[in-house]
Amino acid sequence: MRSLLFVLMLLALAIPALVAQDLTVPMKNGSVKFAVIGDTGTGDKHQLAVAKQLTATRAKFPFEFVIMVGDNIYGGNSAKDYDKKFAIPYKPLLDDGIKFYAALGNHDDPSERYFKPFNMNGERYYTFKPADGVRFFALDSTYMDEKQLKWLDEQLATSGSEWKIAFFHHPPYSSGETHGSDETLRTQLEPRFVKAGVNVVLTGHEHFYERIKPQKGIAYFITGSSAKLREGNISQTELTAKGFDAGYTFMIVEIVGDNMYYQTLTDTGKTVDSGMVHRVGKVEPTPNRTSQPVVATGGSDKKIPAKPVK
Amino acid sequence: MNVIRLLVLVALGCALSTAPAAAQTAAPKPPKPQISTATKEKAAEENANPDALVLADFQKRVDAYMAIHKDAAKDAPPLKETKNPAEIKATQEALGAKIRAARATAKQGDIMTPEIQNKFRRLMYPVVTSPAPQGTAGKEVKKDVKEELKENTEERKEEGGKPVVLKVNATYPPDTPLPTTPPQVLMNLPKLPEQLEYRIIGKNLIMRDVDANIIVDLVPNAIQ
Repeated sequence: MRSLLFVLMLLALAIPALVAQDLTVPMKNGSVKFAVIGDTGTGDKHQLAVAKQLTATRAKFPFEFVIMVGDNIYGGNSAKDYDKKFAIPYKPLLDDGIKFYAALGNHDDPSERYFKPFNMNGERYYTFKPADGVRFFALDSTYMDEKQLKWLDEQLATSGSEWKIAFFHHPPYSSGETHGSDETLRTQLEPRFVKAGVNVVLTGHEHFYERIKPQKGIAYFITGSSAKLREGNISQTELTAKGFDAGYTFMIVEIVGDNMYYQTLTDTGKTVDSGMVHRVGKVEPTPNRTSQPVVATGGSDKKIPAKPVK
Repeated sequence: MNVIRLLVLVALGCALSTAPAAAQTAAPKPPKPQISTATKEKAAEENANPDALVLADFQKRVDAYMAIHKDAAKDAPPLKETKNPAEIKATQEALGAKIRAARATAKQGDIMTPEIQNKFRRLMYPVVTSPAPQGTAGKEVKKDVKEELKENTEERKEEGGKPVVLKVNATYPPDTPLPTTPPQVLMNLPKLPEQLEYRIIGKNLIMRDVDANIIVDLVPNAIQ
């Protein structure tokens, strides 16, 4: 009887990992593998469930780092809060040496930039290069002042032919009923992104998952439901390539050459979206575009309804 | 005669029916400049633009605050990257305590004097209140600010927080989200050193010391 109970217990522990078996990303050697989470810092059971599934997924898909798109620590920011809302949920990943790269959300105290495990180098906005040919730009969308925009222009101008992936909190495009597209921010950023050839933008703020149809050659993803959820909050708009507002999610991403594969999973390991972003090869610089890459296509857009049937 | 009466009645009816609609859509008028006599006299004497003098005065007051900040920072432990969040908070609080002590008598209006407040309201009016806002997305700014305030208030209620009270030289209310400052607003306001920032809390604009987490001063009813 005891043996049976022990086997059952082992099975129960293994279930999340088993559910997350159907990975569609190619898992090539030498590729850039990472995960994306957003609006995480609640410390509640939903954050823990997503964190657990994220850990289980890593057993199959060995991502090297995690992008946090803001609202990393909700409410208080005492040492206890950092433990409850970050260190404890992601302990297995942190123990494995997985790096987290955070952007600031509207619920984050800017002093989070000094928290070493967020890898922000004490800056509100920063850039990092996890591998040759791929560069990330973390922006502070809560305070987009002239200084930051100037910095962004300079960084984008020197980033050459790399994959350019920007991540920040507020989505320039969104079908959310609560917030919707941040048009003010879009006015500031989009022309710069287009000019410099930014390929992908990762955001949160809206508590759901949405993949936007590529806009002006840029792929936009919203992953703001890694701990908070606004059920049924996605409006039917022309922007949506795929929306999921019925569960907690995170993304796994793999870059192989000119292709970026993505898969969005729920806290139970169910796949809600997957596909590939392909960037067009090298294009000569023009007065309107200083760099080359542009996104050519999305994933399985038309086959999946914008809103899941509940 | 009856025709004239009828026309008058119709005209009156039209006027009455359109008046409330017009009143509903009318945006607040732009704030009138309020320049002090001293500034006006100085402007006349120096053949200078009074608004430029107001902004120069603001800069001078910010510089004076920054001198206090830098002086306090000399004795406080430096803010640096750490694995220990308690260290970040302690450093912030230590700096905050030194600045608060150095400005023990600070009150609202020390930096944001009435004429500076008026200038700021005028600078913000085109992007947040004007019926013909600046830029393509300008009309969204006020909506964004309102939405964020609503969301933050709801969240604060959910978390059992008390209503936010803004007090000059006090710590920014703990557990209170820092609302996003729309880029258009930032573009229109005088630049601040990196240790300071503007934030819109409700209808008020605050100037916050980022490293010390202190409300340095504020402009009440910056958004009308």
